[in-house]
Amino acid sequence: MKKTSFLAATAVSVLALSSAVFAADCTIKLGGIAPLSAPGTVVGGEAMRDAMLIAESDINAAGGILGCDLKVVIADSEGLPEKAKAIMEKLITQDGVVAVGGGYHSSVGVAAKDVADARQIPVVFAETWNDTITGDKQKYIFRIAPLSSWASATIWRHALTIEGVNKVAILTENTDYGIPAAKETTAGLESGGKEVVTFSVDIGTQDYAGIIQRIKAEDPDMIITLATGEAGYNFTQQSADAGIGPLDLVFHTGQVSLESKAYWENVPDGNLAFVQRIGLPENGFSPKGKEFATVYKAKTGKGAVESYAMEAYDSIAIIAQAINEAGSTDGDAIVAALEGIEHEGTLGKIFFPYGTGKDPSADGKPDSWWHQWPDVALTVIQYQNEGEDSGSATIVYPDVYKTGEPIINN
Amino acid sequence: MEFSGFFWAAVFWMAGWGVIGSIALKRRYLHRDLDTSNTSMVGAFTGAAAGPFALIPLWIKTPRLTTRYIVLPVIATVVVFGLFFAKGDPGNICVTNGTFVASQFVNGLVIGIIYGFMALGLTLIFSILGIVSFAHGEFYMIGGMITYFITSVWLPGINPMIGVLGACVATFTLGAIFERMFLTPMYEGKIDRPVEYGILVTFGLAFTLQYFVQATAGANPVKAQRFLSFPRMGLPSSEDPWLMKTSRGSMELFESVTISSPRLTAALTCIFVLLALLYLLHRTWTGKALRAVSLDREAAAIAGINPDRMNMLAFALGGMIAALAGSLLVQAFSWLPQVGAIPAMRSFVIVVLGGLGSLPGAFFGGIIVGLVEAAGTGCVPDPQKAASYIPAYGMIVLTLTLLLRPTGLLGRKYASATHGQN
Amino acid sequence: MSRQHIPTAAGAVFLLILGLFPFVYNGGDYDYVMHIIIIAFFYAILASSWSMLAGYAGQFSFGHMGFMGIGSYTTALLLHYIHFAPEPTSICTEFAIGGTYMIFVNPIGVTSTSLAQDCLRQAMDVWDGSVPVSDVPVWLGIVLGTIMGGVAGLLVGLLVLRLRAAYLALFTLGFAEILKATISAEIQITRGQAGLETPALFENGITLFGRVYSRTDKLPPYFVFFFLMLACLAVLWWLSRSKFGLFVRALREDQEAAAALGVNTTRYKVLVFVVTTSMAALAGAVQAHYVGIVTPNALFLLQMSLVVAMAVIGGVENFVAAAIGAILIQFVLELLRNSFTIGSVTIDMTIWRLVIFGIILMLTLRFTRNGLIAPIIEYFHRGHVAAETVAKRAAATDKDGVQG
Repeated sequence: MKKTSFLAATAVSVLALSSAVFAADCTIKLGGIAPLSAPGTVVGGEAMRDAMLIAESDINAAGGILGCDLKVVIADSEGLPEKAKAIMEKLITQDGVVAVGGGYHSSVGVAAKDVADARQIPVVFAETWNDTITGDKQKYIFRIAPLSSWASATIWRHALTIEGVNKVAILTENTDYGIPAAKETTAGLESGGKEVVTFSVDIGTQDYAGIIQRIKAEDPDMIITLATGEAGYNFTQQSADAGIGPLDLVFHTGQVSLESKAYWENVPDGNLAFVQRIGLPENGFSPKGKEFATVYKAKTGKGAVESYAMEAYDSIAIIAQAINEAGSTDGDAIVAALEGIEHEGTLGKIFFPYGTGKDPSADGKPDSWWHQWPDVALTVIQYQNEGEDSGSATIVYPDVYKTGEPIINN
Repeated sequence: MEFSGFFWAAVFWMAGWGVIGSIALKRRYLHRDLDTSNTSMVGAFTGAAAGPFALIPLWIKTPRLTTRYIVLPVIATVVVFGLFFAKGDPGNICVTNGTFVASQFVNGLVIGIIYGFMALGLTLIFSILGIVSFAHGEFYMIGGMITYFITSVWLPGINPMIGVLGACVATFTLGAIFERMFLTPMYEGKIDRPVEYGILVTFGLAFTLQYFVQATAGANPVKAQRFLSFPRMGLPSSEDPWLMKTSRGSMELFESVTISSPRLTAALTCIFVLLALLYLLHRTWTGKALRAVSLDREAAAIAGINPDRMNMLAFALGGMIAALAGSLLVQAFSWLPQVGAIPAMRSFVIVVLGGLGSLPGAFFGGIIVGLVEAAGTGCVPDPQKAASYIPAYGMIVLTLTLLLRPTGLLGRKYASATHGQN
Repeated sequence: MSRQHIPTAAGAVFLLILGLFPFVYNGGDYDYVMHIIIIAFFYAILASSWSMLAGYAGQFSFGHMGFMGIGSYTTALLLHYIHFAPEPTSICTEFAIGGTYMIFVNPIGVTSTSLAQDCLRQAMDVWDGSVPVSDVPVWLGIVLGTIMGGVAGLLVGLLVLRLRAAYLALFTLGFAEILKATISAEIQITRGQAGLETPALFENGITLFGRVYSRTDKLPPYFVFFFLMLACLAVLWWLSRSKFGLFVRALREDQEAAAALGVNTTRYKVLVFVVTTSMAALAGAVQAHYVGIVTPNALFLLQMSLVVAMAVIGGVENFVAAAIGAILIQFVLELLRNSFTIGSVTIDMTIWRLVIFGIILMLTLRFTRNGLIAPIIEYFHRGHVAAETVAKRAAATDKDGVQG
């Protein structure tokens, strides 16, 4: 009898010890939002999903969070605002996540943030640009992507540097991302004395022939595409077919074109196109960025890392660090930790200078700087060789990061 | 670029007299106990074109409404509308820029031929089986997917003809199998309402196919290589290519109209296959049998034609035609599992416009819809909205057709009879 | 108990379970499960009203989601653009009604920065909370949404009088598509794809059974949808039992014969359109306030196909079966969401479940023409009229159950 109880006690203590060592009996869940089916941008969503899962295994390999395993629950936003609300609700109430990362489409971010904020679950948005996401100054909402106004500014400032560009045509998708971005870009270009005409399309449009003829009749010197998803491919290639493609004039194509392999398959005549890219060129990566790039390329078989994959990775990693620093999974504790965080991410050192401690207005900044990482590197690259990777493409703007001269043909 | 009040007033005037004309004329003919089948349409267009000035004579004389009474008012309406448009918005590029109009016209024509060809498959199915296939868009999508996989993934570098043929064979087989498995009970009188059954079961097929492709091929946009790259050249000379100038992917005619290689090859192939199809239908026994079944099922059966085999052939052929259109356009557009939806809607519009069951109607309907969409995208003054409304242009045509002439341009009188209910 | 009463009893038990569920269940994923059931009720209303239109009356409309959209956009636009305040803003379009001002907010479209604000916001910044601004009440938005849906149904019903079968399906499809394109394109007013945000059903919370529920609690909307569904089923049941139902069925079987026998086919055809489209609009309007956002995506053909498939699998000629079918399918689809791995191959069920769903739809159509659930009811309950009593009796039983 005595012997049995002793054995049982030993067994219990061994079990307790082993669980402490392997940390297998507790799991902390984080949500990861990405568009994984149409009408969302699936190419971008899959890259983000892969990156967030790499973050999960990296963090677990390094000992997890608070001694627990990390699990990233991926949720498909489909790029739809109503879906965004539903999956945010599902992540919080069904999966029991303590914080959420990821996010691609602006409309998804705008809709999902209110749900999370109401339920006091911190969110670090990775790739949603609409200014109002942080501009609403919600306590639980953070962002490491650039503001839409910054991204637009890069595009129009770059356009202003190109000689011979007097008239610009903008093609925009009619969404939370496209419309404000088109307005800001137009305002910027007009401030530089350029003439601008904007055309907007429904996402899901396939045949751009009619619109392209109209753009052609306007006889622009430059075309700027503000569309996510395959619209960027369709529009760019069909413009090339009509003789106003990247080979014919200055052509700024959609973000989706960073996905080099798909880009060259869908836009065979897409050489010399400009694309906006977030983050430094690969040779300027932080050590962590380089490490991630190696793993990511090996896992996905891609030749380069897209910026939104890096943002997605960082959005998970920074939450993990914040939970560790907070020593708790409580929403308020995580927010407090995030506000004071200095995170060595793949994109560089990430921090949030403004928040509950210091309002953006204290430094004369607009509300959209709230919980916003200010040091996002925004560059414009140009494909200069057919079939080249977006990671090795020439950076042409701004001068700080420049790796080569743009090729301008008009 | 906003429309003036004058334009809206003119539109209001046309629409008002159109409505009055269609209602009044029908009443009048009914009252006089005359044939009313064309009255709505003639009344609407006469009213829209000339207001009371032409309506009153019609009202008094009530002539027999032959084709002339239909065609003339339609043309007149288009012309009058164009004049009002030009007057209302004199700065519009559709008014000032002839080159633009020409290129928009050619574009509409080229894409319209392809639309019409695709719709042909739908109307073929309808004329034999009496059902509208809601899986038409998915056949289109699958055709493109198979061609992409053959030419770019499985056998890269192979002649694109093989890819197109592969898509045709695969979709023909799929269509035949589906018809055998799911549509046969319709003919045995086992189903109370075969038209609805046909719509629903093809709807189920569409649903299944779309998600099957998404599950197996993923949702990333793909695209096949151009089937044909033009040699770089100019006519009459490369120094002064006023007649024709080509680059890899497109050619320019008269220094104004550009046609891309994928669209050109697609449209030419469509015309070629259309001719082959006409030969099949009019010169071979099978084709004659098909047409016989579409005219009178029982009589054809008495004449020794097996209508069931014709059903299978028609469904498989109709699906294959859509797939062929897809496999030709996969070199022009980025392809996703969802691409079928818009072309399917457009095919519905076209077949209703042309007249359900009418093959030439489908073809002309396609060209009309292609031109209407081109005109809509090209001429709507607000560039922010012109392209956003693309899906609606065709639907407006559909609505007008169903209201004014439910039998379509060249259709038999199905809409008011109980076709498919027996 | 005789065999005849088994479906009635089963229905009563089913409804009793649904009625008590929110009080009994206390899993960690309570909110999520409640959300699934609420959406199931929403689809049940759509599927059963569609089965009345398509199955009973033979009017094969593919525009049902369009009417739902009219309901949700009516209430969303109304609440977005019209507000009341005791003082004039002097910058908005406004009318004085007695002591209060009815304020029409100017449309500003989609914006990125919070700097661009509509006139009311600007006025409120000046007032700085000193003037209370009130919205149009949610219930009024829902009522008007329902009426608008009915009016649209009346117009469409009148237009499609002459159209049969395939033409009707195509016309209604066209109607829904034009509506969707318009909402997507008129961004300045509708905010296009970005969607219009709507206040919650009970923005300030509600007290039920002596407990206070906040705006995010699931219990109040659960019962709103539950009773809406029961009300819709009761109306449909009443209609199907009355002369109306008989005439409507006669329409489906043979319009000419029905007309010859003195049935005013026009009136009944239009009436059935109005009734069913108002139900769709009602469901849409309530759902808009439940979800908190309306976008034109809900009008996609995919949503319509879900409703059609639910009705067909349940049994398109029996609206009770269609409603049950909708609830069950919504559950099964959610349950099948989880992916699983066989060996090294991961099956992504989020998509495959829809493939399976499509195959089931085709097989159901092919082999059991009246769906999967309707035949079960009819097996016990020979004669279809009796089957329709399930809803009413069960509804009565249930109300007792909830209050008791």
